[in-house]
Amino acid sequence: MTQLSRRDFLKAAGVVLAGAALTPSRAFSVRDTRNNQRPNIIVVLCDALSAPHLSLYGYPRLTTPNIDSFAARSTVFHNHYSGSNFTSSGTASLLTGMLPWKHRAINYGGLIKSEFIGINPYTLLGSDYYRFAFSQNPWADQLIGQWNKDVDRFLPPSSYSLLESADPVRLFENDRVMASIALGGFLFQAEGEDGPVGSSEIGYLNKSRTLKFIGKQNLKRYPDGIPEVVLASNPYLNEEIYFGAFSELSRLDSENAPYFAYFHLFSPHFPYKPRSDFKKLFHDDYAPAAKPNHPMANGFSEDYLLSRQTAYDRQIAQVDDEFGRLIAKLDKDGILENSYLIFTSDHGELFERGFVGHGRQFMYEGALRVPLLIHAPSQTRREDIFAPTSNTDILPTLLSIAGKYIPADIDGKLLPAFGGSAEPNRAVLSILAMDNSAFAPLKKAVVAMRKGDYKLIAYLGYADMAQPFELYNLEGDPNEFDNLAAKEKNILSAMKGEFLSYLEEANKPFERK
Amino acid sequence: MNKIGIRFFTEKSLTRHDVLGAYAVIVLLVYSWTLITSFYKFPSWMFYLTLGQIGAIYAYAFSINFIESIVTLAGVSFLEFTLFLFLKNKEEILPRSILAALILLGTAMWRLVLFQDYVDSAAFVSGELKWWLLTFAVGAPAVIFAAKIKWIKKILEGLADRALVFLYIYLPLTALAIVVVIIRNIN
Repeated sequence: MTQLSRRDFLKAAGVVLAGAALTPSRAFSVRDTRNNQRPNIIVVLCDALSAPHLSLYGYPRLTTPNIDSFAARSTVFHNHYSGSNFTSSGTASLLTGMLPWKHRAINYGGLIKSEFIGINPYTLLGSDYYRFAFSQNPWADQLIGQWNKDVDRFLPPSSYSLLESADPVRLFENDRVMASIALGGFLFQAEGEDGPVGSSEIGYLNKSRTLKFIGKQNLKRYPDGIPEVVLASNPYLNEEIYFGAFSELSRLDSENAPYFAYFHLFSPHFPYKPRSDFKKLFHDDYAPAAKPNHPMANGFSEDYLLSRQTAYDRQIAQVDDEFGRLIAKLDKDGILENSYLIFTSDHGELFERGFVGHGRQFMYEGALRVPLLIHAPSQTRREDIFAPTSNTDILPTLLSIAGKYIPADIDGKLLPAFGGSAEPNRAVLSILAMDNSAFAPLKKAVVAMRKGDYKLIAYLGYADMAQPFELYNLEGDPNEFDNLAAKEKNILSAMKGEFLSYLEEANKPFERK
Repeated sequence: MNKIGIRFFTEKSLTRHDVLGAYAVIVLLVYSWTLITSFYKFPSWMFYLTLGQIGAIYAYAFSINFIESIVTLAGVSFLEFTLFLFLKNKEEILPRSILAALILLGTAMWRLVLFQDYVDSAAFVSGELKWWLLTFAVGAPAVIFAAKIKWIKKILEGLADRALVFLYIYLPLTALAIVVVIIRNIN
């Protein structure tokens, strides 16, 4: 082995440090020469918003009256699936148009494989558009941070939050993307399961101060306390976040059209802390049918699951209220007349089989099916799409709307009603591979494949699962009670074969030669 | 000058050796813990980020570590000039400071690790005062008495001597790191 001399080491260290100093650190820039003919594109994403919990999609509680009325003049997708069941993977699928086994943001806080960095709305829309990004969720913020040079205005996650001015990352405003990764994703990391906690005592003190701040607020409007972006120590009020979203859109509309604006808003993500007027809702006798405990679940009781589900539904009702107010303001100012508005989520939430939350090995409908509504400029009528679609379809669709080139690496297709055609028998995949190395073939993962009426769930590499495959007929059994794997052997075999061929193809670039 | 001030400069004047020795141990702990945690992240950084960006992360990390190490040294010095003011044996200053730093940082690290798995983080934080009072109640006498035991004293002095090497590695790197952070943040 070649010995590295001290001189060589110092040279190498110098090169790395010079690279570190010179790597572009631009976070904000403004341009004004724009082509005014193209439509604006606004994406409003509510984190962890599960489609089966929206009255729009038939949920028995009236959780989303405002979204329901917005749907009356939008295209509504009824079987829209996220590429995964947690933020990093699901958001990366939405923004790259690729499935997790390709983009590789598969672990908590994961990023996009460098080979595919150029495939995202910011780079592909190019300078014809003014490009805006705001994500309250730090994991989505870090994903967008990889395309920082192509984002014209990139707000920090703490924007419009209650401790906005005290965010330590704000000390490094001119290099806030790298500062976010270094501090939020590493040094100050207080929660997360992809390694040890952040090493910094300052980070712990920051988190501790935030929690004490929340504890002292004691606002009557928030009897359960103030909601917090759990990964980022950012307490926030939804009313202020949505006010901020409207302010940004007003400014973009008056100064920067055409523009692409992506809002990744944290609510209704855990912790569910609805405002007092929404806490009054849903004191009803609703009781979903119990499902058998999953072998890998926490084993929570049905009463606990229902109490958490009710709190979540109330949080959704508040999000719906804020969204309704936002739409009314956008209508009043005529902002939607030349804008596409895409309303969706990055993944869902689950309250069944002894489990609460998302991001674990539970790939059931509540965790994967997300809302998708697209309002085209001046659209007045509702259109319903029932064919299965994937959130990997959003990037190619918005590129098509903007008249831009769609790279061949994108897995998604044009959405029906926006240049694509409805394909009822298309295989739509969702992948959870948080336990798998990002740079190795997928050997430990849970994959759900929806095709036609059926859904296959495959558990790869999980010894806890006596039955590595589950099969459901969603047409006759939308709540996934009856596992047909033992009964419908032909269907299982066909779907398994198709899934394994996709997996083999996806693993090829990672197999050792 | 009042009485405490006079004692500060007479009985408590620290030698350069004391300060550097205690600081070296603090630096060793703070920086090494960051380096160890970074090893968990490093493979994924290699996969997603450029070498320059990885260098930038370490630049931020070392800059923050530097601040933390100075704050810890200040904390230990504060203890030496307040709580341990009545202790006159100058030979015990170094082992006592090292022990205080070890207990302070060790407890804080332990608390950080516990915090990660704690479901009700707000309740965890609300118990902070009790935690530190208990640490203080147990730690202070332990520091005072352990520093008097010869073999412990010898080990701690040995540790300080060896840790000095790390100062020569970490501090120049920190200086470069601070320069990098400043350059990246110049408008």
